[in-house]
Amino acid sequence: MSTILECNDLTKKFGKKTAVSNVNLKIERGQIVGLLGPNGSGKTTIIKLANELLTPTSGNILIGGMKPGIETKKIVSYLPEKTYLNDWMCVHQIIELFSDFYNDFKPTKAYEMLKNLNIDANDRLKTMSKGTKEKVQLILVMSREAELYLLDEPIGGVDPAARDYILKTILSNYNENATVIISTHLISDIENILDYVVFINQGQIVLTSSVDDIRAENGKSVDVLFREVFKC
Amino acid sequence: MLRKLLKYEIKATGRIFLPLFLALLVFAGITRVISDISPETWSTPANISMLIYIIIMVGMFVMTFTMMIQRFHKNLLTDEGYLMLTLPVKPWKHIVSKLLVSMLWIITSGIAAFISILIISLEKGDIAEITEGFATFYHLVFEQLGTSAYILSFEIILGIFISLASGILVIYTSIAIGHLFRQHKMFASFGAFIILSNLSQVLFMLISMIPGITHLFNINDASHDFIGMLPIIQLIIAYGIIFIGLLSAAYFATTNFILSKRLNLE
Amino acid sequence: MAWELKSDRPIYTQLTEQIELMIFSGVYPLGSKLPSVRDMAQEAAVNPNTMQKALVKLEEDSLIITHRTSGRTITEDARIVEMAKTKLAQKQILAFLEKMQLMGFEQKEIISIINTMVEEMQK
Repeated sequence: MSTILECNDLTKKFGKKTAVSNVNLKIERGQIVGLLGPNGSGKTTIIKLANELLTPTSGNILIGGMKPGIETKKIVSYLPEKTYLNDWMCVHQIIELFSDFYNDFKPTKAYEMLKNLNIDANDRLKTMSKGTKEKVQLILVMSREAELYLLDEPIGGVDPAARDYILKTILSNYNENATVIISTHLISDIENILDYVVFINQGQIVLTSSVDDIRAENGKSVDVLFREVFKC
Repeated sequence: MLRKLLKYEIKATGRIFLPLFLALLVFAGITRVISDISPETWSTPANISMLIYIIIMVGMFVMTFTMMIQRFHKNLLTDEGYLMLTLPVKPWKHIVSKLLVSMLWIITSGIAAFISILIISLEKGDIAEITEGFATFYHLVFEQLGTSAYILSFEIILGIFISLASGILVIYTSIAIGHLFRQHKMFASFGAFIILSNLSQVLFMLISMIPGITHLFNINDASHDFIGMLPIIQLIIAYGIIFIGLLSAAYFATTNFILSKRLNLE
Repeated sequence: MAWELKSDRPIYTQLTEQIELMIFSGVYPLGSKLPSVRDMAQEAAVNPNTMQKALVKLEEDSLIITHRTSGRTITEDARIVEMAKTKLAQKQILAFLEKMQLMGFEQKEIISIINTMVEEMQK
């Protein structure tokens, strides 16, 4: 196994506020990893740093050994917590855009998933509900054959039925060599699909462990452990 | 990748501008037809049609301006930025694509406006007169200036393009600077714009105070002989182009730096 | 068959147990082919790596045979299945006995209770 994502003394400050503080982390390929922490713990900041949407204050973050840039963007498929779809395109136009810019994008995969979720490719993005937009974005992201998927709160805003479909989509669309990092605070929903978890609080890594180890050593679910670690 | 960006930029803006151009030309045509039919110079239908035409014309220029701002701000620095800035494309290509497309629409808007004015006001024989006039003008200029007429017109066209680019880039830079602020981004952008424009004027003043250049200006003032001044005028335009070009480069570099190193999307 | 996963034990051990049960109960008959890891993982809504781990465990116990080209099948050897079954039974009974001892029952008492219950069930 080789490392896909690596943080070395990674620090990000916004003015006086430290969002990420001296994080050292190594994530190996071929796993589904949960980046778990309460709101405002620095999950999104780390993911944005990995996507070059932010620049580290000090330290570095490496993806496949490279600093974030054009080459890493080619192999990273990123689902932000925001809906980034513009208001003038149809679904099939945004699919075209993705196939234009990403060589690893598979339009047939996208259309198949759209069909499964009963989304019309001719629908305008503008007229869609927030939940549908989120589904479209997830479809776009999972239709790439990327090496690293960074999913920021993918199940935050959708109903339970869609949540199941999303988890299924993630499971069925990633291949053995790819890595999926899912950031969330809704742990019980996803803990069965995780190999590995990273607990983060106030910008610092609190715990990293395999899910099986947590259960075997503590006799507790990740969710229960999380609640204990982050007890208010 | 720049070509693909340009394609999407034109798609995103063309859907607004092309119908606007069409509407402008159509209403210019309608105005023309109505005023041709009705004998009185200002009949009500002609007035209404003329009014609509003027509104569209104003709307078109307002649109080129708002589009220029909106395509940069909304597409790169709001939620849409999450998509655009994670594409495997260097940030400077985003700036270039938006700049070029903005310039394209400003120029085509000007052309559309010109054509619509021709549609409304052109009388029979005008075209012949205009071409004739233009030909005489061309001959006159060429006779007087010789081949340097080409250099001069090239300089003027280049100057127009560079001024246009710098005008757009100063707005991009202002928006990017506004983005650095956590609150009151709009206000900060506006402030940045005022400061940058003043700063560039001060710079221009400072540069023109360099000895030699002042000397050129003085000659310029003293002389009333256009042909005799020509080499100096050309030199001044060249200086202007270099100055505005450097300024544009500085704006571009600043915007690029902010987009690539100081980005902080909400 | 629905997969039931409890949250206090490693998922792969639970998967191993449940697949064992499916083999014992004939859901997967002797010699039959298993679905792909990916499909099984999706059905159970777990990570393919975890399902893989569970299957490797079953392979070690010889309940499952991996063919290089044609995926995995259940063993054709009924004795292996019998042995695994007995082992599981022993495990369950051991746990049961330990509990009964905690409750203060003597071995003889336990056996007599079991005998009476079995007789009643037969009626």
